[in-house]
Amino acid sequence: MSFRPVFLAVLIGTALVVGGYLVNAYRPRSVTDQPSAALVRASGKCAECHRNLQYSVVHEYEMSVHAKKDVNCLECHQPAAEQQGKEHHGFVISAKLTAGNCRSCHETVYQQFLRSRHAAPAWASVMGDKDFTTEQVAFSEQFQPGGCKRPPHPLTQLEGAAATTSGCVTCHSVGRPNVDGTIGTCSACHTRHTASVAVARLPSTCGQCHLGPDHSQLEIYTESKHGVLFAAQQRLLDLNVEPKKLTTREMFVPTCATCHMSGINGMNVTHDPGERLSYYLFAEVTDKRPNFARGQAAMKDACRNCHTTPLIDRVYHDAESVVSSTIDKVKELKEVIDGLRKDGLLNKPFDRPIDFAYFDLWHYYGRTAKHGAFMGGADYVQWHGNYPLLKHGVEIKSMAEEMRRSHAKK
Amino acid sequence: MPRNSQGYIRPRLWLEVFLWLNVAGLVPDIYLAHSMNQFRRPQEYLPLYFSLAAPPLLLIGLAGWLLWGRVMLWRVLGELVGWAAILVGVLGLIFHLESRFFQELTLASLVYSAPFAAPLAYTALGLMLIMNRRVDPDSEEWPRWVLLFALGGFVGNFVFSLADHASNGFFHATEWIPVISSGLAVGFLLVPFLMTVRRGYLAICAAVMLLQGAVGVLGFYHHFSASWHGPANSLFGNLVSGAPVLAPLLFADVMLLALLGLWVLWQHVPAEMGEQSERAITAPSMH
Repeated sequence: MSFRPVFLAVLIGTALVVGGYLVNAYRPRSVTDQPSAALVRASGKCAECHRNLQYSVVHEYEMSVHAKKDVNCLECHQPAAEQQGKEHHGFVISAKLTAGNCRSCHETVYQQFLRSRHAAPAWASVMGDKDFTTEQVAFSEQFQPGGCKRPPHPLTQLEGAAATTSGCVTCHSVGRPNVDGTIGTCSACHTRHTASVAVARLPSTCGQCHLGPDHSQLEIYTESKHGVLFAAQQRLLDLNVEPKKLTTREMFVPTCATCHMSGINGMNVTHDPGERLSYYLFAEVTDKRPNFARGQAAMKDACRNCHTTPLIDRVYHDAESVVSSTIDKVKELKEVIDGLRKDGLLNKPFDRPIDFAYFDLWHYYGRTAKHGAFMGGADYVQWHGNYPLLKHGVEIKSMAEEMRRSHAKK
Repeated sequence: MPRNSQGYIRPRLWLEVFLWLNVAGLVPDIYLAHSMNQFRRPQEYLPLYFSLAAPPLLLIGLAGWLLWGRVMLWRVLGELVGWAAILVGVLGLIFHLESRFFQELTLASLVYSAPFAAPLAYTALGLMLIMNRRVDPDSEEWPRWVLLFALGGFVGNFVFSLADHASNGFFHATEWIPVISSGLAVGFLLVPFLMTVRRGYLAICAAVMLLQGAVGVLGFYHHFSASWHGPANSLFGNLVSGAPVLAPLLFADVMLLALLGLWVLWQHVPAEMGEQSERAITAPSMH
């Protein structure tokens, strides 16, 4: 038997196998070097179907930093601790992701978030503390006293489940307790498949919840010089810079995240947006935060990236004056309401027109005036703040007198 | 002289049986494959309907030939099914061209794309049905066509096992076995088309083909085992989404085709180097 055909056959076969091996070796190590076969498959198999079913999801992911760093679908979608996995076309996945999934890579960020009012206090301010474990409540109360250990908001009862679910819960779910024992969802700010720091830096992202009469931060920002400059120069900014490397060269116009959270010019990045705040401006009667001095110093450091100290001190002085005068105005009306309650003229929450007038007074106008003062929104200090404060104050006093007269007649 | 096609070997009949089994065997195969996509598009039912309709027609033709002596019935029905199979295969190829690979033309997308060449299995079966009716099984040409189709089958096995297992990142080293084995099969089946070979070589080829059969059975075991222990609630769910359980059997399947070709070719090849060189198989010899 001739050796030539056998040699040729083996040569061709070997060449094919070596060729196949080399092609496979050409694939990125980040794709092929995975702890499980499923994680390798996920680097392309998921997109093969979902590109046809939900193109946007795949496209958004492909634009993300996760994609650039070869973080594949299953790395985020694999069931995290305490999560129930479900079978999905050969993969075991968690379809509903929580902070529990993100924390597997971003634990420090999650811990910062847990200490913030975006975590448990956000949910508790609507639904109360009943959904949290004792440990979760105790943890949150260490950092946000009174923020978590509280009853449900009375409006949830009065407006009903439908309104609460589609209204309040949509924003306040940023701090919802998850069945896996974690709290919150990072995608509220970073979106899901984009998982973007740039999106989180947009004023409109914060403005998804921080808008409207109850906390008009987005409107105030838009009116402010910061907002005007952002509108004019957004395309010149680089919102994608890694948080710890961000400088005023990339973001020479600030957004909410720049001042409240960013690591701009070497500052400490934080996912506790309250870390640089000094007052509870949202409160009925504003008080200093427990970390008042540290918070104010940190925010002033942020301001100093663009402004001189005298200017910063003047802004703080003027804003604190507004806070102080608002406290006085609210307190005066609070005494009127407390007096009516004490005398049995008001029994249930949100039962009489004066309840709503007073709630609007501090919850809308008081807050707006204070936020406007700190954020450079003059119109919001005056026409959306102090003017309605004055008007509602007069009306509340008048309503109170009328109630007392009516009560006396009985 | 080679054994007569009317003798006990009857290669034409064996090939017909092989083709019938393959067309019928595509029913579960295509059902599982398109179940992965949940038959999202109506055209995905086309190969399924074809695979359901073709075997009875072929069976009628076969009965016409074997029982009633109506060779024409066998010929016409076979040609009909054959051309339809070619059409189904080509249409399938075109539909599969919508896959991500043809949008991106990257290696990554090639690995995870729908197997765009897989529908060509229908085309190959169709061509074989036609070939079996048009080429004299006693001729030297007939086994060479069979071997060519077997070669095509192993090229497919090589490409698909490479791509499928690349999507796993060859996580288990055993996933290289079918790649190596089908590469070897391609090498051995290609040589008769490139140079003169004799019976000794065909014997080695047969041994290499038997190895393919063993690899197919081993692959079936591994793929079925993976599905058996898969994450879905049902075995069917795992069969649809897991490792393609029928795919490794293609090795054994094409092995049978190759062995048939080698067996018949054997009749045309001199045993030793010293025999008449004009009877040695030289390439190309197809008409």
